[in-house]
Order: sequence, then structure tokens, then C-alpha cells
Amino acid sequence: METKVDQTLDCKGLSCPMPMMKLAKAVKGLKSGEVLEMLGTDPGTKSDLPRWCNKTGNTLLDESELSGGVSRFLIQKK
Amino acid sequence: MSEKTKETGVLGQLFKTFFAKHWPVWVGGIVLGTLNILLFAIKSPWGASGGINNFGENVYRLIGIFGLESSTHLSASFYGMLCLFLVIGSFIGALLSKEFALRIPPKGELIKGFIGGGLMALGATFGIGCTIGAFFSGMPAMSGGAIIFTIGLFLGVIVALKYLMWEMEKFPGFSSGKSYIFLAGTGKSGNWQKWAGWIALIITFIIAYQYSGGNKVMTWFIIIGMLMGLISQRSRFCIVKAFRDPFMTGEADGSVGVMAGLFIGLFGFTIIKYFGVGVGDIALRTREMTWVFPHFFFRAIIGGFVFGLGMTIAGGCAVGTLWRVGEGQIKLWASALGFLIISPISKLFIVPPIVAAIPQSWDFKNYLPDYLGYAGAFALVTLIILIWYVFVKWNEKTGKFSAY
Repeated sequence: METKVDQTLDCKGLSCPMPMMKLAKAVKGLKSGEVLEMLGTDPGTKSDLPRWCNKTGNTLLDESELSGGVSRFLIQKK
Repeated sequence: MSEKTKETGVLGQLFKTFFAKHWPVWVGGIVLGTLNILLFAIKSPWGASGGINNFGENVYRLIGIFGLESSTHLSASFYGMLCLFLVIGSFIGALLSKEFALRIPPKGELIKGFIGGGLMALGATFGIGCTIGAFFSGMPAMSGGAIIFTIGLFLGVIVALKYLMWEMEKFPGFSSGKSYIFLAGTGKSGNWQKWAGWIALIITFIIAYQYSGGNKVMTWFIIIGMLMGLISQRSRFCIVKAFRDPFMTGEADGSVGVMAGLFIGLFGFTIIKYFGVGVGDIALRTREMTWVFPHFFFRAIIGGFVFGLGMTIAGGCAVGTLWRVGEGQIKLWASALGFLIISPISKLFIVPPIVAAIPQSWDFKNYLPDYLGYAGAFALVTLIILIWYVFVKWNEKTGKFSAY
């Protein structure tokens, strides 16, 4: 079943550190259990995001590659 | 034989080790530190701002302004070629891992890239060095000025990070808006990237070989430059990240990676300086003083601060800018452009009058072993790295200094 997305954050075209800054801010604004969809194109996010989730206790539910070099991440707030 | 069987062969596995996933930053740090020692062994240590300045001088020479006719041609400049092949190495790394794409960010980001690049140029020309020459090489070179430059960098990074957070709060639209992606390598249709990567790699070796007859040092600068770009891209080695992330998300991995490279470099540089390895016809004292710049303390603290501001706004220091240029991040193209346009102007017109007004006692070469001996200087630099390590690890756990 497709996970329900509560908010989408578009970070396409942005490079480090903007995707992680925007992500941290967006997750801060969510309620516990809510899911954020993040779309990004910076290869660095693929390493930074799982590490950040690991550290902060938020859950990386899914990571997938869309067409056109876009990565999609689903993050559930702790 | 099917394509699948080939992929799971030993060479396929080896390829995947290097190009399927990013490398840990500390692996990148250790390899880059080792390559830095090799550069010093054959000539002089790693530097990046000098190479970018050479790009700029060549542009102005072609246009015919500022009287730079006698500036070194790019093809004859060791550091110009090192920087050029660093970009190409990152391009190769991104292609082989199918991570290359032209990523055009919203307008505001392009403006920040250009301004950040310009500030880095001002900082590097005034401070005599960048995060590589005056930090990643300067600290292992046991330069007292490098320690001051590093303090300046920290201060600049903290101020600029506060600005970025303020901007995101007050003007979120500045970093949002339309973006464009071209030539991405997703899926099977992106396999052309791997082929292009191999071709670029072969061309690099052919060019390096062309120099081997009359200029062997250049051959190795080309090869090492290419490897440095490739390794930086694969390990996401980024000095801005090392300084910034503890104060942003609290991450310490980037910092530890840089520390690993610093410590390896310190080991190798100490041996080279102590024994005068590669001294050739020059005086032993000259070899000892390599990468000890006359910037202690005033030019180092101001230059470091301005450079720290610029690299945080741009999202890449001199070398972080170059390898992101290679993987197609257009914001960093703007940053590289700002850097190369402003650098020669600053060197010619902005820095000289300020330097003329500063007393000489504010700007001299401070070589730590002159005051502390080799053992003392080695111990001091090690202690600084250790204190930094303890701080970032403690902060990672407690989040005391992290914004998020």
C-alpha cells in the first residue's frame, strides 16, 4: 500500500547544504508520525539523509530513484 | 555470456566497490592526505586557490586586459592543471557512478554561488591560501599562520551559517523556484555515462603521457589531480561540511574525514621537512618553509574569515567548488566563475594597498618548529586535531552547538 504523504518538500536543483537545511526545518514543523516526501537531485543527500535520520531517530521509510535524476525519500517523524 | 553474468564477475565487483555507493569520508580523507604527501614529495603540497587564480589570469590574458600577458599559460601551470584535472576527475567519478547531471538551481542560489565565489577569491588572495593551501596542507606544514587562518575560517562559517538560516526563515523564496535537470543518468538509458567516463579517463592518461617527455612533474600533477577529483566526488570530501555540519545538523563524519587526511598529511610532511626529502638544488631551509606563508597573523585571520563566509554561502570551498563543477552542479559553476573573475582583480588592485598599510610584524612566516622544535610542533598540531575531534564527537551526542 502506498504510504500517505503529509507534506512534500521540493529540493530539486539545490546543492549542499540547502536540501539538508530545508529538510531539518520541514521535519521540525511536522507532528509525530507524519510523513514527509522529499524530492532532490544532489547526490550528497543519498549519504547525508540516512545518517541524519539515524542520528535524530526519524525513520527513512523509503528511498527510490525517479526519472530525470530525481531521488525521492519518505521520512517519518519520530 | 549475458550482461548480468559479467556484472557479477570479479571486475564487476571491484567496479561496484568504487562506484556503486559513496565511500566513507574518512577513506577519502586518508587517500587525499596520502596524495598530498606525494605532491609534496615530487614538488610542493596541494593548493587550490592558486590554480583557480591562474584560470582567471588566463581569461583576462585572452581578453587582453589588466596587463597579464606574462601570466603563466594554463597548460604550463602546475596548479592550474591540477585544478583542471580535479574537475575532470570528479566528472569521471560522477559519470562512472551515473551521478552526473546538469543541475540548474533557482536564481537565488546562482546569485549566492557567484557572491560566495567572489568572497572566497577575496579571502584567498588576502589570506594567502584557501581551505587547502592554508588549512589542509598548511596545518600539516606546521605553519602558525595556518592555525590562525583556521580560526578565521571557523568564525566565517558560523556567521555565514547564521545568515543562511536567517535567509531560509525570512526569505524562503530565495532558494526556491524553478529548477532544471539535464543529462541525468537514471536507469538503463543513462548507461552512456559509464562509457563517457571511461573515455574521459583514457583521454586524461593520454594527456598526462604527452607531458612525460619534458615535464614529468606535470604528468604526475595531472594524474594526482584527476585522482583527487574522483576521490573527492566519491567520498563527498568537503571542508565546508567539516566546519559547518557540527553547527548545523551536528554531523561529525565530514569533520572526522578531514581530520584523518590532516593527520596523515602531518606525518608525511614532517618526514619530508625533517629529512629534506626532495630538496634538490634548493636550500634545506626553503624546503622546510614550504607552504608556510607570510600571513601570521593579520592576513590569516581576516583572509580565513572572509573565505569562511564565502565557502559557506557558496556551499563549497575552492576544492569543493571544483569537484561539484565536475558533477554538474550549476550553483558551483557560478561560484567558480565568481572566484576566477574576482581573484586576479583582488590580487592586482585590492590586496596590495591594504598590505602596504600593514606593519610587517603583522604578517610574517611563522614556522612552528622554530619555536617548539619538530616534536613540539608535531604534538601541537596533533593536539589541535584531537581537541577538534573530541568537540565534534561530544557535540554530535549532545547537540549543544547544533542548530537542528
